Amino acid sequence: MSGVDLSVQVGPTTLKNPVLTASGTFGYALEYDDFFDVGELGGICTKGLSLLPRAGNKPDRIAETAAGMLNAIGLANVGVEAFCTEKLPKLRERKVTVIANIFATTIPDFVTLAERLDREEGVTAVELNVSCPNVDKGGLEFGVDPAAAARVTEAVRKATRLPVWVKMSPEAGDLRGVGIACQEAGADALTAINTIRGLSIDVRTWRPRIANKTGGLSGPALKPIALRMVWELSRAVKIPVIGIGGIANAEDAVEFLLAGATAVQVGTASFADPLAAKKTLDGLAAYCAERGLGARDLIGKMAT
Amino acid sequence: MTDGDAQLVTLQKPGARRALHRVLLHRRDSIGSAYHVLTFESERAIDVEPGQFAMVRSETWGAAPLLPRPMSLLTGGHRPSILIKVVGEGTRRMAVASSGEPFHLLAPLGKPWSKAPEGARPLLVAGGVGVAPLLYLARALSVATVPQAVPIPGAPSALSVSTVPPAAAISGAAGAQAISAASHAGAAQAQRPIALYGGRTSADLPFERELAAVSDMRVSTEDGSRGTKGRVTALLAAALDEAGVHKQSVKVYTCGPHGMMAAVAAMCAERGVACEVSLETPMGCGYGVCLGCPVPRTAGGYLYACTEGPCVDATAIDWGGASGAPSAGGHGR
Repeated sequence: MSGVDLSVQVGPTTLKNPVLTASGTFGYALEYDDFFDVGELGGICTKGLSLLPRAGNKPDRIAETAAGMLNAIGLANVGVEAFCTEKLPKLRERKVTVIANIFATTIPDFVTLAERLDREEGVTAVELNVSCPNVDKGGLEFGVDPAAAARVTEAVRKATRLPVWVKMSPEAGDLRGVGIACQEAGADALTAINTIRGLSIDVRTWRPRIANKTGGLSGPALKPIALRMVWELSRAVKIPVIGIGGIANAEDAVEFLLAGATAVQVGTASFADPLAAKKTLDGLAAYCAERGLGARDLIGKMAT
Repeated sequence: MTDGDAQLVTLQKPGARRALHRVLLHRRDSIGSAYHVLTFESERAIDVEPGQFAMVRSETWGAAPLLPRPMSLLTGGHRPSILIKVVGEGTRRMAVASSGEPFHLLAPLGKPWSKAPEGARPLLVAGGVGVAPLLYLARALSVATVPQAVPIPGAPSALSVSTVPPAAAISGAAGAQAISAASHAGAAQAQRPIALYGGRTSADLPFERELAAVSDMRVSTEDGSRGTKGRVTALLAAALDEAGVHKQSVKVYTCGPHGMMAAVAAMCAERGVACEVSLETPMGCGYGVCLGCPVPRTAGGYLYACTEGPCVDATAIDWGGASGAPSAGGHGR
């Protein structure tokens, strides 16, 4: 692995490698102490943080579907204050590259969250969750409308020195339009894609299999759609796109890089295998070493 | 493209108790048509305490079924084993798995059963496949009770469904010691548990004989095909009354369908009897990151069955608010 340059440039940030973990699938990263050194990863995106702690949705919250799963967790999280005082110091000790994913229902709350995180050491960037499909309000509506997405991005951009990543919703009718609007509003990178809303029904009870009725689809079932969207989006914007959607191993990661992603996030795969992100990183290093390439040499190189 | 799994036996950080163990299916024993015992061969001993569970997934599954299945462990050590009931695609695949098939076991996970208060006799209430964590507990208690009876096992061979394996070989030293350390010597026989075991029919009582060997057991079936006709909660009412008459203190441990556990919890609460349950919910990860296994708490909000359970004091749970979905008793999908 030595000698392979896996570093990538995401806006002003140099990541030591392009393998990150996706918000909502990796807790606060401290849960992995038994499994591997999370500091090896390019970065981790925290569980979505809100101003106040949230208990989350009623059960059942998850249901497996073909090569995927639906979830409607409802952004259960410890709140930004507990994150800053209880989790972040430990992440600093472990030298983890932390991307704080933040969620709010109003623009002023997004700003307050960004300001709070701005005061902390050890946060590398903020990722705006404007695309959560599983909450009553404040989730999708910011993410599917270019003007609304731009307003959130611009407000947060002005509130913090931290790089701002915006997490795109696949449900935006005009994904490229939303991406360009965020870029113009000062986003440093775009993360694509969040889950797509789905439904699953129990034929014995005739009830939806999760209490929220609909839930976000993730996992391998999502991958071809995500890959196509990353490809389209990365050609439409000048800022880096971070690919996410069904990435479970190094081959998946390479596909996303070739499609135009500058970095990738491993998500649902961590549920089945807590070491999925590490294995993806090790596999990517081996892939690059075999070919005498750096990670940057793969970005956007799909042969056409 | 390298696949780390090819060389992976167990990636375990020094000092870590939990790990993703790559194991091979040693043998699969059927109990009737719906129940199977899967016994694995693990290079590395898995240090399990009764009540803990594993996330289980076959390497052959590829992208579907996607998620590992939470399963109570029946044994740990080099021969970890699980009892499954076929309820969905994952368990259907497990029920046809062959010897040598590679599996991943993320274990040990969750909170084990806690000890009974001093002087209290364990009273186990099992429903169907929910017997798994309770059989493990009963075996550990029997080891703790009669240390001189512990056989020196050779290579701990396969768990056969028709024989009672030497408890020391299957419980893993930690489980037995945790319980034995808890049970102060001298109160020896008081620790032999009472077990009440209920099923829909006589076919829904896997491990009936094994449980009988390590407890004073009474059985019920809803159709009357075995033991007392009716629900296991009727046996519990009688047992609690009896204990009351003899001024004997008991602690109830229960695992089974949600409705059964709710009823057991209510009966114990009414009589002021300590009760611990092993929770059953869908799970995505088993180690606290997906937040897919919330259970409503009496105190408000949710606890997560994977990290705050599965074994938890019954009074901590808001049974009215908990998921009423049909449960397989310790075993998902």
